[in-house]
Amino acid sequence: MIVHEVMTTKLALVTPDTTLSHAANLLRQYQFHHLPVVRMPAHSQQWPGFAEEMVDTTQCARTALPLFEGLLTSQDIDLASALAAERADRTAPGGTLPSESWQEKPVRDVMRRDVLTVTPSTSVAAAAQLLVERGLNCLPVVEYDDVEAENLVRETRALLVGLLTRSDLLIALARSLGADEPGVEVHIPFPAGDMTHLAQTLLLAAELHIPVRSSVAAPLAGNVSPTATVRLGTIHPAPLLIRLREAHIPYTVASTPWEGDVHAERTPPGQSAPGL
Amino acid sequence: MLNAHHQARARLAFDPAELRYDFGSGHPFQSRRLVALIDLLESSQLWRKDDPQQCLSFQTATVDELGLVHTPEYIAAVQQLSLPEEAHHPLSQEARDQRAELARRYGFDEGDTPPIPGMHEVAARIVGGTLAALSAVMGLPEGGSFTPEDERPLHVFHPAGGLHHAWAERASGFCVYNDAAVAIAHVLRATEAKILYIDFDAHHGDGVQRAFYDEPRVMTISLHETGRYLFPGTGDVLEVGRGSGRGYAVNVPLEAFTEDDSYREVMNALLPPLLLSFAPDVIITQHGCDTHAWDPLTHLALTLRGIQEQMQLAHHLAHVYCDGRWVALGGGGYDQFRVVPRAWSMLWAEMSDQPLPAHLPSQWVARWRPAWEAEREQEAEEQHVMGKEDAASNFPTTFEDRTMDFPAQPRRATISRTNLHTTAMVRHLLLPAPLRKAFPATPQRSPMTGLFDLLSPGGSATPSRTNIVETSKGPLLLRDFCPPSLVERLTADSGLHAFARLPEREHQLLLNIAQNPDCALTLAHTPDGAIVGEVTLTFGDEWWEGVDDIYEVTIEISSQWRNAGIGRQLLAFALELETLEKMILFAMGLSWHWDMENMGITPHHYRELLARLFASQGFVEYTTTEPNINMEPANILLVRIGKQVDPAVASRFLKRIGGSVRMTH
Repeated sequence: MIVHEVMTTKLALVTPDTTLSHAANLLRQYQFHHLPVVRMPAHSQQWPGFAEEMVDTTQCARTALPLFEGLLTSQDIDLASALAAERADRTAPGGTLPSESWQEKPVRDVMRRDVLTVTPSTSVAAAAQLLVERGLNCLPVVEYDDVEAENLVRETRALLVGLLTRSDLLIALARSLGADEPGVEVHIPFPAGDMTHLAQTLLLAAELHIPVRSSVAAPLAGNVSPTATVRLGTIHPAPLLIRLREAHIPYTVASTPWEGDVHAERTPPGQSAPGL
Repeated sequence: MLNAHHQARARLAFDPAELRYDFGSGHPFQSRRLVALIDLLESSQLWRKDDPQQCLSFQTATVDELGLVHTPEYIAAVQQLSLPEEAHHPLSQEARDQRAELARRYGFDEGDTPPIPGMHEVAARIVGGTLAALSAVMGLPEGGSFTPEDERPLHVFHPAGGLHHAWAERASGFCVYNDAAVAIAHVLRATEAKILYIDFDAHHGDGVQRAFYDEPRVMTISLHETGRYLFPGTGDVLEVGRGSGRGYAVNVPLEAFTEDDSYREVMNALLPPLLLSFAPDVIITQHGCDTHAWDPLTHLALTLRGIQEQMQLAHHLAHVYCDGRWVALGGGGYDQFRVVPRAWSMLWAEMSDQPLPAHLPSQWVARWRPAWEAEREQEAEEQHVMGKEDAASNFPTTFEDRTMDFPAQPRRATISRTNLHTTAMVRHLLLPAPLRKAFPATPQRSPMTGLFDLLSPGGSATPSRTNIVETSKGPLLLRDFCPPSLVERLTADSGLHAFARLPEREHQLLLNIAQNPDCALTLAHTPDGAIVGEVTLTFGDEWWEGVDDIYEVTIEISSQWRNAGIGRQLLAFALELETLEKMILFAMGLSWHWDMENMGITPHHYRELLARLFASQGFVEYTTTEPNINMEPANILLVRIGKQVDPAVASRFLKRIGGSVRMTH
């Protein structure tokens, strides 16, 4: 899976000259926490709905893609307003500093320019690791291209094509678990990493014409044996479950394996436990 | 009493052509359950198919009508897949592949919803039944004129309907066309009515919810087994609608193995206040009875007692809130012979106000018991692999279930507790505080002392203060701690309808609040006794558990008395409390409860208005991770932390809201 498949492409954008009050309104209106700061390409006369509504980068011609300048976060604005408030306290009667409202400040004064970016072909795993290790919430997605600068010299610039946020990753996770398709989950444990049971389950599902919406095999936390979660596109999994039981393949439905209470009462852990 | 009259006004919509909706032997969804139902209704003399007073005839829905919900491509695919395979001769490999591709793309999987010959016609017929049922109850023109109110059927039951999983562009979970969604869409187009859809099926009513997810005129409520381990997997509490439909989708995911008592508790804590706040013109209920403990496809564990209570509550609510307009549909139910016929006979008896005989007719038992015997082993095995045990080994002989056949579930207490928690979450998300207080879900907090004693420890002699204020619209009396007797003597001003939609219901709501000792009610009324404003002060609900001395404030001013500073004065009056500085007060502004139409302003404007109103009493806006507030940028949390509040309590509060004083404006 690559970033291109999961990134957000409908973006609310600001320019370095946008005021902080306008940026704060955008953040609140769309409930975003980040705004990419961009500049319009030199030759591009019009930009669909820029600064009025969101820009969908998939609808932009490549030459009309915004040039990436930096990132503005809601913390930057909070900080600016806190500083202004502190300053205001000191400017109160007898103070030395002239008062100044943060609302009128331009984005360029507080934006971050040294932002980590990724490209559309970066792997999602690498991007996720970057987000977690650097403690980031968001990565701008850029492509590099030669563009015409003011003095007619061509130079390499970063074109903004999207934004990868933690939410995008969570949605991608939910989607790869099949959550947007109607279905029912069955867990197949595979002790000692032996995938035979999972493979047999998938074969049986195919034989019974039961569509598999997703199949994720991964070790769960702690000392629980690795488990495969198979999402079946059926309202009636019983025929498959009967076949699983006949083939002595353990499975669980209706109770998570690590909840354990019901299982513990009826069957000791580790023992093949069809159903509950 | 009203029996004869009501019975004449309840109809059952059934057409033998609907029996062709059948996926064949070995499939859990077969029409034999309807045959058994009709047989039971007739042999127990609850219904006669030749009595026009009890029947509703109907046509097949047209492609245009289906198109109200379904996409043209999907309808065309269903029509094509409806042709028997021989029609494609010569059966070239290419034609077969094409057909398989069509089936795959539109959700006709071999397992669940295999394409069957003639399915377009029969599915459209079923849609026609639900469409006719809803149109008849709403008095919509069948032949060009609206039926006069007293000639319409009041209730209609359409047992073949309730195919709630069908999506706009695909078949799913045994459902081809979504009859309820089409009927609702038809009424939406033809009238200005608001429609409430309640789904009692054990599976989430995903198709109907999807069809109206952004439609504020349709509220969908689905009570179902949690989607963690049951098809279709959706139906989480946080699915509450989208856009202007936010707040109009209600989902109550119940734990596996939920039993009657817990189910009743959940249902009673949610349905009445939701009906009051939505004020629908008609109710459609889907009565899938796969919630029963014997059902082989789900893990819920109701008995017919719990299932009957669904019907009784729906019937009661239809009469209280919708002048009786009620359409009931069938739905799931896969114990075909032991559960479905009895459950839906009960539904018809309830609807037509007929008493149920104690025993099933012996000739009916004799006819259908062998059918059950023949499939008993397979059914038992299916139940077993799904994790259910069937304690009864007999075919029922009575309409009601015998308690002895349903041993208690081993985790009953945990399950009930989890369900209560889910209920609290739903109430917190979707019910404004006054409604939660008028319909308390849990016993009151302080059985010995009312809120008044708590807030006025000095014990002033008169429990209620009065104040007279002059406003630009006339003099008003302000009263705090209004007793029920006072509320009874007053009436609600015609502009007072924010929470219950209609002034007379708002009045009843205020009366309920006044009767709740956990809630302090302050009113502003005219000398003539018309209530024009209300402030309620209540304990914070379940979400705040563990934070002491926290109270929620709500305010409402009649639309005709706004812009006169009444809100400010009433709020100041209501909060003149001895214990004020010891309290944390909060108010939540949720945009989907706001009376934007009458005010003619934007949500952001309204938000500022609220912030200013509460700022006059020292409230400050806080950011928070609270799920309600978070859902919409216009929503707002306003808080006043008293000066004498224990810092530990205050910090617990801040931790709970997960936010801070808002710095950006």
